[in-house]
Amino acid sequence: MSLLRVENISKSFKTLQVLRDVSLEVNPGERHVIIGPNGAGKTTLFHCITNILPIDSGAVYLDGKEISKLPAHHLAHLGMSRTFQKNNLFGDLTVEENIHLALAAKKPYRYDIFSPLISRTDIRKETNDILEQWEISNRRHVKVKHLSYGEQRLLEVLLAMASNPKILLLDEPTSGMSPAETAQTSEMIQKLPRSVALVVVEHDMDVVFAIADRITVLHHGEVILSGSPDEVRNNEVVKEIYFGGGAKKHA
Amino acid sequence: MKKLLLGVVLLIALVFAMPLVLSDFGINLATEIYIMAIFAMSLGLIMGYAGMVSLGHAGFFGIGAYTVAVIGQHVANTYLLLLLSVVISGLIALVTGAVFIRTSKFYFLMITLAFGQLLYVLFWQLKPWTGGADGMSVSAILNFGFGEIVSPNGFYYVMGIAFIIFYILLRLFVESPAGKITKGIMENEARMSALGYNVRVYKLLAYTLSGALAGLAGALYAYFNVFVSPDLSGWMFSGQVMVMVIIGGVGTLLGPALGASVFIYLQNFMSTYTERWPMVMGALLVALVLAGKGGLIHWLQHGKSLFVARKRTGEAVSQQPVKKGEAVH
Repeated sequence: MSLLRVENISKSFKTLQVLRDVSLEVNPGERHVIIGPNGAGKTTLFHCITNILPIDSGAVYLDGKEISKLPAHHLAHLGMSRTFQKNNLFGDLTVEENIHLALAAKKPYRYDIFSPLISRTDIRKETNDILEQWEISNRRHVKVKHLSYGEQRLLEVLLAMASNPKILLLDEPTSGMSPAETAQTSEMIQKLPRSVALVVVEHDMDVVFAIADRITVLHHGEVILSGSPDEVRNNEVVKEIYFGGGAKKHA
Repeated sequence: MKKLLLGVVLLIALVFAMPLVLSDFGINLATEIYIMAIFAMSLGLIMGYAGMVSLGHAGFFGIGAYTVAVIGQHVANTYLLLLLSVVISGLIALVTGAVFIRTSKFYFLMITLAFGQLLYVLFWQLKPWTGGADGMSVSAILNFGFGEIVSPNGFYYVMGIAFIIFYILLRLFVESPAGKITKGIMENEARMSALGYNVRVYKLLAYTLSGALAGLAGALYAYFNVFVSPDLSGWMFSGQVMVMVIIGGVGTLLGPALGASVFIYLQNFMSTYTERWPMVMGALLVALVLAGKGGLIHWLQHGKSLFVARKRTGEAVSQQPVKKGEAVH
């Protein structure tokens, strides 16, 4: 059974229809990349899946359970995690404190108002594990706003991974990165454990083909193709959209 | 934790040393400052740690004050009256907050302003109970079981100790998981929601705690002032406490307390020279906002860090670089 099933969702902003009957299936552990030209509706699709925007019609299922009506903060507890296109971290907090906040979301003591958060041994230990696993222990006390852009994007992924999600949605993980940082990030994404399924919006084709098991092409808010990397690479319509100048409307 | 302990010891020393140098007038002034400091810290909590700027916070102060004044006519027990003030103002904060936190920024400002004014009018209109615009005197007398407290010195110590206790409680809150999470929500609500936090619960929690504490400050004030009037809930007073928070420093706990001291001191000091003291206060506020963002407490911290940095670099020649734990805060 598929882990995430998106069924015919549509979304309009006033008169502008951004998503039209979009359907999508993601299996456990799959690397699913969504591509499409600017304005295709990729980020809107993410916002709709994670309930940051309400959908007009259709439904989203996670593990067979409909999630499209649930409040956004429930999704993390059901195993869905996401990053944001723009850096969306806590700039005035240190790397370590950012991780604390990500970890505490699943702790029973998250409503505790008396004992200091840093006195919790489990959270300190898990934070250390994460810092070591990602080899950033030496940056732990640095305020996030003082990190390099690439490091911030890494932390973004790492925070989303902190809750041990079943599925992780990455919104343009390499946007704004230098070629070296892009390569690093691509490598990091490939190293993520197969216990988590990935849905990635990405523009860089090298990254797309490096990580994808399956690719969905979105254009003008519609899915025009969903298939293996080879199918997508050799598809005429996709070539048309990406390389044909876009004068001709797709069939 | 060590820092907190040191801070508390310093505060206790301050509270107990002040009577040695202060005149009777000074003692009275300091007592009022402690009460206003508790009030300012309560507003500072939601302004600086939850991003909610309320222009009706005096409403809760008024609720606490009138609780002692009205119910105190029938109930003598100080503990019970203080508890009632906290519970009533906390409950009202919980119920109204559940609606208010759905708004943000300017709308929150406006709806809290309306709330404060509503209470102001209510205290004014309920003349049979509250004495209306004339206000009412407070018959309840402060008594913690060690005899009635009526002397200025007695009041001074009670309010000083209350200030320290609530400073400790607030400090514990801002270091607690709920406090840290609330701060995170203030910085980035969408992200905290995506991480799995129910942001409204935390906002409401902070608002309720803040309202309850403001009510307690009002109750203490009723005992101290032995007179309450609708002005305690008016928008002027809400504005004044906001000025205290801003002068002292948003985003800290001691900042608002410091702001309250400066405000009350200047208010009393300048009003002996001119009736137009709010003009001077206004000019000071403008200067503070223009000259340094963050208020007086940040200047103090800046001065301290300059001093510490100089000491550190001096030591660094002979010693190891900064130890692991020291860079945390």
